Amino acid sequence: MPDQAIVVADRLSYRYPERDVYALRDVTLELAPGGFTLLAGESGSGKSTLLRALCGLVPHFHGGEVTGELEVAGMSVRDHGPGELAAVCGTVFQDPETQVVMGGVRAELSLPLEHRGESPSAIARGVEEVALALGIAGLLDRRTDTLSGGELQRVAIAAALVHRPALLVLDEPTSQLDPVAGDELIWLLRRLNEEWGTAVVIAEQRIDRCLPAADRVLAMADGAVVCDASPREYLDWAVADGGNLATPIARLFSLAGLRPLPRSVKEARDGLRAAGLTPDGGAGETPAPPRRRERRSAKAVELRGVWHEIANGRAILRGIDLGVEPGERIALMGRNGAGKSTLLRHLKGLAAPTRGRIESAGEIALLLQNPGDYLIHEHAVDEAGADALSAAGLADRPDANPRDLSGGERQRLALEIVLAGDAPCAAVCLDEPTRGMDRVHKDALAARIEALAAAGAALIVATHDTEFAAAFADRIVLMGDGVVIADGPPAELLAGGWHFSTEVARALDGAGGALMPEQGAKLIERELVR
Amino acid sequence: MRSADRTASRRELPVPAYRPAASPLHRARAGATASLCLALALTCMLFEDPVVLATAIGAVVAAGVMAGVGREIKRAALLSLPLVLLVAVINPLVYREGDTLLVRGGEILGRRMDITLEALVAGGLAGLRVAAIVMAFGLFSACVDPDELLRLFRRFSYRSALTGALATRLVPVLARDAMRMGDAARCRPAPPSRLAVARAALSGALDRAVEVAAALEVRGYSVGGRPERARRPWSRHDLRVAAAAVAVAVTAVAFKVAGVGSVAVYPRIEIAFGPPELLLCALLLAAVALPFAGRGARLGVARA
Repeated sequence: MPDQAIVVADRLSYRYPERDVYALRDVTLELAPGGFTLLAGESGSGKSTLLRALCGLVPHFHGGEVTGELEVAGMSVRDHGPGELAAVCGTVFQDPETQVVMGGVRAELSLPLEHRGESPSAIARGVEEVALALGIAGLLDRRTDTLSGGELQRVAIAAALVHRPALLVLDEPTSQLDPVAGDELIWLLRRLNEEWGTAVVIAEQRIDRCLPAADRVLAMADGAVVCDASPREYLDWAVADGGNLATPIARLFSLAGLRPLPRSVKEARDGLRAAGLTPDGGAGETPAPPRRRERRSAKAVELRGVWHEIANGRAILRGIDLGVEPGERIALMGRNGAGKSTLLRHLKGLAAPTRGRIESAGEIALLLQNPGDYLIHEHAVDEAGADALSAAGLADRPDANPRDLSGGERQRLALEIVLAGDAPCAAVCLDEPTRGMDRVHKDALAARIEALAAAGAALIVATHDTEFAAAFADRIVLMGDGVVIADGPPAELLAGGWHFSTEVARALDGAGGALMPEQGAKLIERELVR
Repeated sequence: MRSADRTASRRELPVPAYRPAASPLHRARAGATASLCLALALTCMLFEDPVVLATAIGAVVAAGVMAGVGREIKRAALLSLPLVLLVAVINPLVYREGDTLLVRGGEILGRRMDITLEALVAGGLAGLRVAAIVMAFGLFSACVDPDELLRLFRRFSYRSALTGALATRLVPVLARDAMRMGDAARCRPAPPSRLAVARAALSGALDRAVEVAAALEVRGYSVGGRPERARRPWSRHDLRVAAAAVAVAVTAVAFKVAGVGSVAVYPRIEIAFGPPELLLCALLLAAVALPFAGRGARLGVARA
């Protein structure tokens, strides 16, 4: 049935058990076979629920109330459970750790075929083929608990694809990965989509990462599909809708009054050239970076010659010298394994330096990567008291179970938990706080960081998110192999690079040190337009 | 890779876990190595004789060291320590039998709290037995590929085997979760009690289990059937380890039936120790050494 829609939804509505609000409302859509569909929307908009309906977990696994119809490859989701739908729909979730079931990669890839009763030779062939297609043949004999997050996510995708389903649904598969692994994954999906003809439906917060690969975009809000369009039409809609779901370069073009809105950095550059604006590095005058303040005032926190060596002799930190002043906002950047998290753990005292000294002017607060790790009570109010709950915006939900809170709410509550000491903190450290976060929540977090800095705390945030770093930081510290390799203002460090660079800076080739759409638009109006 | 996970994984997990390695126990099929470990555990269950138990512990340690998993065995021994101490301490407090009174205690809730040498020895022997059994299972965890074992048992009880495999897989995941939660607790201005953190880790384990269950569902678990048997020729390591397992089990059962290694603790301690017990110990050690002995145990590429 090559021309029959792979997904048909007709006025599909759904609500989870014991919930009053519908997670899906009147969803009507048709997806063609072999398409690459991006699901956009803020947290809680219903993206994950729609994906869980496509693979049959809704309603068969989660329960709840369904009205309307949903068919996947001609099978009604009402009548067919996830086990039957697995034959036509491969599913990949957010956290690779919990969707890899077996101890070894080969066994993991074999499992779906064994469930289907395939013969040993068919299983061996299927495993070999999918491993080669996804470039993980070298991992086949590895243990799953020795794989990196990116490798584990590839294995999860391979396990979802090993029986060659017609549809692959992915729920924010890059949210737990570093940017390089995330980009590689999206292009891998595009290749599979093109070469195997597998229809892909992917929910993502990083729209800029997925948009160039997508054929179609569905935007969701409050459980309903509010936009169903091609990527370019979607960008027009997103910009008109307020810009929260638009990419930075689309917002740049919109603010500068340029059309059409670009889907990728390449298109943005082409668009600028077509408009007579040549985005080369020298086009705009890069403002002289403000000189690093070398105040003699007391530091909020200071590391002097800090080394950290682990049991096998490898040095994670190698003679780090870093001073942070009160009220300073630092984005700690660098590839995975550069030593960012270890540095933050040393600041808090979770790890001790092998050599060197760490001095601080007071308490250090540290929010680790997974805010759920801080939540240990049955009721939110027991976690940190009424004041903290109010600061987290949860004053009206004191009795809520913290595990039922959304990702953003958990993050806010966890931050208030670590800040709930009697004395104000000298420094507040956050480790990758924006993973899987939508733009609205990122903006809220940036505002909270600003408020903490205004109150005199030094902020040190380890992040891969260049857009977020550009939004909150007044200093970038770039780490590599346990040493500080660059230390300077954002306009200097985030404008001229390839990897550590915002999308706007890449489109403008670093001109004028513009990092954010608003800055870029002003630059275009002020300096590039002649 | 997620940097927090990297940090967590740098620290060693407190539980023994399987890692592929080049040793006869790792190279042999899972069924054979599992049988050897279970035969050692059976020996510990059959005998209370301290010399035999010490020999069994020695055999487990020797096999572990020769298989390159000495650290895992040490970890298992450390894991067993609280239970061993609990058994060793509780037994003399609960049992008043025995002729040799060491401490005359008072009365608590109408019960005399006398401590006898015999009860103390019985507690020590029970503790030794617990340690030996836990260490044998430590060897099992470190040397037996759980995926292969699952494949073996799936033919008999598919769902039970998968549940077992999942539990095995979840142990290191949950251990890492618990470590992370411990770190998060230390980041609080007023760190919570260990009990509160343990409780939260347990409820987190349930969340993990639900997520894994969802992952299994979308992999077609609910329609899964009994897999076809894959034939695999027996290697020299398979044969040697299986022979060792049979030798340990047969020796233990035969000597038990013959009444060797008998121990009576109450009312007076009587532990049999003589040539039969020494012979039993020697045979056990020789059987466990079998997979590692001679040229046949060597790993590598055979010459043409």
